[in-house]
Formats: sequence, structure tokens, C-alpha cells
Amino acid sequence: MSARYLGQRLLQAIVTIAAIVLLNFLLFRLMPGSPERILLRNPNLSQQVVEATRARWGLDKPLIPDQLVSYIGSTLEGDLGYSFKFRGQPVTSVIADRVGPTLLLVGLGELISVFVGIAIGAYAGWRRGGVVDRVGSGVSLVLYSMPYFVIGMPLIVIFAAGLGWFPTSGMTSVGGGDRPFPDNIIDLARHLALPLATVSLGLIGQYSILMRSAIIETRSEDYITTARAKGLRDGRVLRAHAFPNAMLPMVTLIAINLGYVIGGAITAEIVFSWPGLGTLTVTALQSRDYPVLQGIFLLVAVSVVLANLAADIIYGLLDPRVRR
Amino acid sequence: MSAARASGAPVSGAPVSGAGKAGRWRLRAAQLRAFAARYAGRADGMLGLVVLVFFGILALAPELFVGPLETATRASAHAFDAPSAQHLLGADDLGRDILNRTVHGARISMTIGLMATVITLVFGVVLGLVAGYSGGLVDNLLMRIADFFLVLPTFVLALILAPVLIEVVGADAEVMGIRATLLVIIVVIGITSWAATARIIRSQTLSLKERMFVDRARVVGVGPGRIILRHILPNVMNLIVANAVLTFASAVLTETTLSFIGLGDPFQPSWGQILNGAQDSGAAGLGAWWVIAPPAVSVVLVILAFTLMGNALDDLLNPKSRVRR
Repeated sequence: MSARYLGQRLLQAIVTIAAIVLLNFLLFRLMPGSPERILLRNPNLSQQVVEATRARWGLDKPLIPDQLVSYIGSTLEGDLGYSFKFRGQPVTSVIADRVGPTLLLVGLGELISVFVGIAIGAYAGWRRGGVVDRVGSGVSLVLYSMPYFVIGMPLIVIFAAGLGWFPTSGMTSVGGGDRPFPDNIIDLARHLALPLATVSLGLIGQYSILMRSAIIETRSEDYITTARAKGLRDGRVLRAHAFPNAMLPMVTLIAINLGYVIGGAITAEIVFSWPGLGTLTVTALQSRDYPVLQGIFLLVAVSVVLANLAADIIYGLLDPRVRR
Repeated sequence: MSAARASGAPVSGAPVSGAGKAGRWRLRAAQLRAFAARYAGRADGMLGLVVLVFFGILALAPELFVGPLETATRASAHAFDAPSAQHLLGADDLGRDILNRTVHGARISMTIGLMATVITLVFGVVLGLVAGYSGGLVDNLLMRIADFFLVLPTFVLALILAPVLIEVVGADAEVMGIRATLLVIIVVIGITSWAATARIIRSQTLSLKERMFVDRARVVGVGPGRIILRHILPNVMNLIVANAVLTFASAVLTETTLSFIGLGDPFQPSWGQILNGAQDSGAAGLGAWWVIAPPAVSVVLVILAFTLMGNALDDLLNPKSRVRR
């Protein structure tokens, strides 16, 4: 991978993040009503107090560049302002509390669905028209058409309300997290099972469809014919020749997908009251807690940009054509 | 494959020699018939079409089938009534008939999906044509913006954009009988999803503008606006149609999700809004599957139908997509 390629990708990522920060800044100022009117609701305040407050908050200075510069400065310092809803708490600490559960859910979900989805897709594409292909592709397409909450709600009806195997919501039972070692993990796993199944099912459809078409595309390549002509066994052609090449587009797709995964995870979390970023988003939406909403957007957007950057770098390392 | 090539050939600009206006129309009608015959050969596409027609009829005249929309004051059943002869699909937490609301939801969900698709396509097609045809700095700038929207987690952006826009417009505004909340959802879907369309149209425009018939038009002195409208646009129409169908599927998906999260309008319930009500009343935990299944199945069927149709159209109309499925 050349320094030039790396440099280009880095620059692109930095410009995108800058644009995200700018968007975040402008969006908040788009709203009617000035901040001091919202925050100083007392109508009896004298003009002097209002002026003083405006000066203290820097609102007397022009929007661009002064306010923008100080906004960027504090964003870089990790100061995202204070939550409206959770009074007095800085946005960063409100969000930080919720990152863990979401990472657990999304991370495990990605892991399961990448393995299962790619396995199903690769096999279906290799044996095109076979039983696995017909059933797998049909099911994948249906799953692909289902929003996460449409997968999750029936799971609750069947496995929580109906059979009673799993709890309907939350991450721990009352006092469940304080029990001695094996019990607290078991309690967590029982709560995690259904949300995790929801996220995984939603993703498996997507990944198997993508992997299937990637395998079908590589199947018609010359090097596959060559490998067959050499007399290699079918399984070995798939594993050693078709599979690694079909994985190339998958790396990018999985990274690009991250934004959608988090978006989808939001609804899965709502269905199961999973205490992650998704439920926080809804709480913030309901109370119009804009600083928290913006913080979540910034966090998700920047992670997606970084994931894309990582995918570009991995792609550069894997694909000799980009290495130049 | 030769038939597919024929439909990808230029529609305008390469005039059929000796044919007048009537001749051209006859040619187009024949092309359309040939295309309909090929489409009819696609089982998946036809299945999608049947589902679409079914929900389309429901959406056109919901009152005809189930009477006026049941609201909290006009509820005809008791809370969480199970399905019975009188209420085929049972009732929700406020005693509203689920069948009634699901059929009415078809109209609202599909109207929003349609309008969002139109906005997405207008933005995407215009910007794609302009970027592809003008090239240079304009192209570069527009495509950087498109890339930005492609990388951005658009759904999360929609989440913060929607409440801000609702605050700007005011929740009680109304255009053509559609309330502000829904309008905002339509616009937000448009803003966040035009980029993919623009990219597709741009790449096709890039190759079209190098073709002989465009050169000829330019030499004769036809202006850029007219070349884009009369010579390039008709030739990307195929792509637009295939893309529109797939865009509709994702628009319905986004609308359902946004409404489910609570950005919908309770007075004009879409399927997502009905599911939001089910979530808020804890229907799933109570085992009241009948509140969830009808709107959920409807959403999945409609998205599935459009995905099937879109894939079939894409295979038939898009010269670049070789057989993938």
C-alpha cells in the first residue's frame, strides 16, 4: 500500500469528519428561537442580565467564524455541552454510560452474522440452484425486507410471552447484576439472547445475499477455470480460490454497513428496552434533548467514517492491485 | 441477451429513418409490449406486482373496505380483544379494530413512500445528470457531497434532522391534507437518500455523453440543457425506473422505522405508527400478537414485493447488471 493511497484516504476521512462537525453546528442553529430565550425562560429578566449572559456564552459574537471556532474547539476537547433531560450531566458522560451495552449487542451480532451469513451465502452461491441456495436465498430476502423491530417483536411474543424462556426486556433482572460470578453472567446472557438473535437475523439476510452474489461473480473468472483445469477438488477451488476473492468486496460492505447496523440496533434496543444508545436516542427524542441527539450523531458518524477508513486500509493490504 | 441489448439502445437521437411522429410512437409501443412480455416471464417480478396491486387497491379506497379510520373516540371494540368473527384481526389497547387501521395504514405508508421516492429521484436524477454532463469542477463538487451522504449514517442523520425540521415548520402546518410531521419525514428521506441515485445516473451520463448521437447534436448547435433533456434523459429512463422501485422499498422501510421510533403522526397512522402504538402499550409482552402481525406482515410484504420487482426490472433494464440473482 503506497503512502499516497494511505494519505488520500486519511485526508478524505478528515474532510468528512470536519463536514460532520460543521453540519452538527449549523443544524442546531437552524432552529427557531435563540438559545438564550430557551435557557432563560424568565420573562422578568432585565435587558442587562440578558446581555451579560449573551456575552458570557459568546452569543454576542458572529456565528461564523467566532462561534464556529469555539464550537470546534470545545468539540475537540470532548465538551459536547449539557443534556437538557438529565439535568447537569455533561453529554459525554450521558452517552458514555450507554456505549457498552450497544457495543456488546452490535459487536456480538456482527460477529455471529458475518460468520453465518458468509457461510450460507458462499455455499448458496457455489451450489447455485441447490437446496441451500433456494431455501437460504428465500429466507435471506425475507429477512432483508424486515426492519429489526419487526423481527424482534414476534420473538418476544413467542419466546418471552408465550414460552417464557427469556425475559421480555432490560439487561439484568432486579439485583441480577450483583449476584456471585456465574449467576450474573447467566442472567445477562438470558437477557441478551433475544436482542442478539434479532440483530443477527437482520444482518444474516444481508450478508448472505451479498456474499452469494460475490461468489457467483468470482465463479465466472478465468482463474477459477484454471484452478478447475489443474484438477483441484471442488471444495479446494471454493476455499482457496473463489472464497478469498469474494471476501474482498465483503470487507468494504461490512464496514459501510456499520452505520445501518447501528441505525437498526436502535430499533432492536427499543423493542427489548436494552439500555444502550438506541433507547437513549428515543429518550432524547421524546424530550427533545438536542445536545444528546447531536452527541449520538457525532459519535456514530465519526465511528462510521473511521470504520470506512479501516476498511480502505484493509482493502489496500489485501488487494495487490491497490497496493501500488 | 440480444433482446436486452436492443432495449439498451438509444431511444432518441438515433432517428428511425423515414418514420414520422406516428412511426416513432408505434415503435415505442412495440418496445413496451416486448418489454411487458419479458417482464411477464419473470416469476419473482410478477409475484411482486400482484402484491403491489393488492396493497395499491387497499390504499386507493380504504373506506370502501373497512369504513372510516377508527380513532380513540370511534373505537368499536374493547382493549386487546382477540380476533373474532366481528373483529377479524382483533383490537389494540384502545379497542380500535386492527384490520381497519392496517388497511388505512396502507394508504399512509404508501403515500409517504411514493412522495419520498419522487423527491429522492428528482434530486438524484437532476444532480446526476448535471454532474455527469458538465464534468470538471461541478462534477467533482457534487460527487464529493454525494460521497459525504453515502458515508454518513443517513438513518441517524434523519433522526436528528426530523425533530429539528418539525420545530422549524411547526407541527400543525398542513399541505394537501398531509400533516407537517409526515411532510418532514418525506423530505428527510429525500435529503438523506438522493446520493445513490445521483451516482448511478452520473456514471451512465458520463458514458452517454461520449456517444455519437450526442456529438452530432452538439455539432448541429443544440444547447447543453436541450441535449440533457432530449438526448440523455430518455436514455437513462430505464435506470430511473429500476432505481425508483428499489428506492420506494427503502423509503417505506425508513418511514416505518422513523414512525416506529415515535417521529410519526398519531392522527395519520402508517404501519410504523401502528407498531409504535403496539410497542408503547406493551402488546408483545402481553402476547397480543394480533396487534403486531397485521401491520408487520404488510410492511414486509410491500418491501419484499418492491425488492423483487426492482431486481427483476434491474436485470431487464440495466445494461450493466449482468445476471446476479
